[in-house]
Amino acid sequence: MKYIVGIAGREIEVEVDGDRVTVIGSTRTASLRSIPGTTSRQLVLDGRPTGLTMRSAGRGQWSVETRGDRWEVEVLDERTRHIRGLTAGSARQRGPKTLRAPMPGLVVRVLVETGHAVTAGAGLVVLEAMKMENELKAPATGVVRAVRVEAGQAVEKGQELVEFE
Amino acid sequence: MKRVLVANRGEIALRVIRACREEGLEAVAVYSAADRAAAHVRAADQAVEIGGAPPSESYLRIDRLIRAALDTGADAIHPGYGFLAERAAFAEAVEQAGLIFVGPPAAAIRAMGDKTEARRRMRDAGVPVVPGAHEPVTDLAAARSLAEELGYPVLVKAAAGGGGKGMRVVHRQEELGPALESAASEARKAFGDASVYLEKLIERPRHVEIQILADRERTIHIGERECSIQRRHQKLVEESPSSAVNGELREWMGSAAVAAAEAVAYLGAGTCEFLLAADRSFYFLEMNTRIQVEHPVTELVYGVDLVREQLRIAAGEPMRVPAGWLEPRGWALECRITSEDPANGFLPSTGRIEQLRVPGGPGVRWDGGVDAGDEVTLYYDSLLAKLIVWAPDRLQAIDRMARALDELVVDGVGTNQGFHRRLMADAAFREGDLDIQFLERRPDLATPALTDREAVALAVAAALAEDEARSLRRPSVSNGDHINPHWLNRARLEGLR
Repeated sequence: MKYIVGIAGREIEVEVDGDRVTVIGSTRTASLRSIPGTTSRQLVLDGRPTGLTMRSAGRGQWSVETRGDRWEVEVLDERTRHIRGLTAGSARQRGPKTLRAPMPGLVVRVLVETGHAVTAGAGLVVLEAMKMENELKAPATGVVRAVRVEAGQAVEKGQELVEFE
Repeated sequence: MKRVLVANRGEIALRVIRACREEGLEAVAVYSAADRAAAHVRAADQAVEIGGAPPSESYLRIDRLIRAALDTGADAIHPGYGFLAERAAFAEAVEQAGLIFVGPPAAAIRAMGDKTEARRRMRDAGVPVVPGAHEPVTDLAAARSLAEELGYPVLVKAAAGGGGKGMRVVHRQEELGPALESAASEARKAFGDASVYLEKLIERPRHVEIQILADRERTIHIGERECSIQRRHQKLVEESPSSAVNGELREWMGSAAVAAAEAVAYLGAGTCEFLLAADRSFYFLEMNTRIQVEHPVTELVYGVDLVREQLRIAAGEPMRVPAGWLEPRGWALECRITSEDPANGFLPSTGRIEQLRVPGGPGVRWDGGVDAGDEVTLYYDSLLAKLIVWAPDRLQAIDRMARALDELVVDGVGTNQGFHRRLMADAAFREGDLDIQFLERRPDLATPALTDREAVALAVAAALAEDEARSLRRPSVSNGDHINPHWLNRARLEGLR
């Protein structure tokens, strides 16, 4: 089976055939084993071992961690990739953007109001977690549509804080 | 002294329990509802639940800690660092209950705890201090004129502060108001005291601190630690000795620190923090009247167990450090492994630690506070463990740290491990060209990077994992000779649905 793997802005074709893989035109031996008693796996590619932990989020989405760095990896077969290519245009929607809480915490201050124009990098909400205040910044220039939280409110990870366009 | 209650959690609680064991003392752990199965609880001889998960309901409850000590027959309380370690009221309450406080007298904590008062005393004792106000800021207009007088940039600091909380750098007048407000609000939350003061910002200084140890006979310094690798005033990497300090400067700074400690009749282990400018002038910042997070680097180069010395001194015995000249031997380096994910803007990461593989081998020390299976919550500090190495010189220590970081596996919560790996490989860091703004100039160290070869390896691993996951989902229908035709038929019907 041939897969197209997206990782860190690169696209790498990997054809899997038993204990052999063909990647960027060259065929190599490869195995992926679980390390007993741990959550780790070990990849051996042409005799070169790499320790990894991997979690699947389904639909070919993998989170792969090695030596403390985590990478979000997408593994698609050719057919899915083709279909994805046909529908990608319509899937990219225009519309309001939202600032979400990157972690659970407590809203200390809201720095903007509905109707405010903000520039990319401007502080929107100050969120406290682990006794540190973290200023969450606008990811892009725009106008605040709605403020969904107020000072003193506890928020969950991923919760909508500010909507803007 | 036979039994010590450890009024803390995490790695420092475990560190103190270990020291108690080696001193032949029993250790009593305390824990909140969130820490019932925590590593420090498992390590102690006895353990007492003292309240709910928020520190204000447990680790900050003086009454419950003293009750727990009396109930378990403990005769001393070790506060660790953070929580109540620098609250004079706690030291007093411990003594009033007839118990020994493992730390300095309450009066010394109080004198050094009020940063404004401490600076005044230090100036009087001849210890150099950074120019600035000696009074808390009361209104914006006064703060503005003071800032003009000192010249921008200025630093806003919490009077009751420490650990970088309630601290802001202000470059321009218009930033002063918001900085005062947010520093005061952070200070109120962290220390229950919103007062802040202003001082001149010394540009590109190093953070160099002197370890102090005092018993009833003498006060000595045990060399310096360099802690310039900081992010938002939180130390991330510490080392001893410092590449900026030679024997002569060490004695100057050491004598200033000893003078500072003697000025408040200090007892036990403490640390004087200094800013060291490029011209080798140095300024007293504050004294931390407790054991410091980064104490192990001093222990490794001076061969002194600071926590055991604290216990001995608290028991009324003299320190075991011989009188006379102390020389650092080799180089020690510490990386704080925190549950902060650099790839996510250093935001705290929570969850269960699914796996923990601790580095080992020559010259490696792991002072940890968590085990596999433990939950990392938002209630407490993000420090999971300290990875410390010793080697004959600085570059060998850095290489050893890089090797140890490669061995470390923490699965389940994001950590700053990758950041530390990149720092160890960084040319400027290896040169020893440090100052406290080092990390501000180097946001790239927080960002993971992949070589082509690593990208190929990860892509192959992901493809193999996906292939395996699919083959487990797929009903394996081969050419079917040995398969019951009835089941084959079922499978075909399922497939047609």
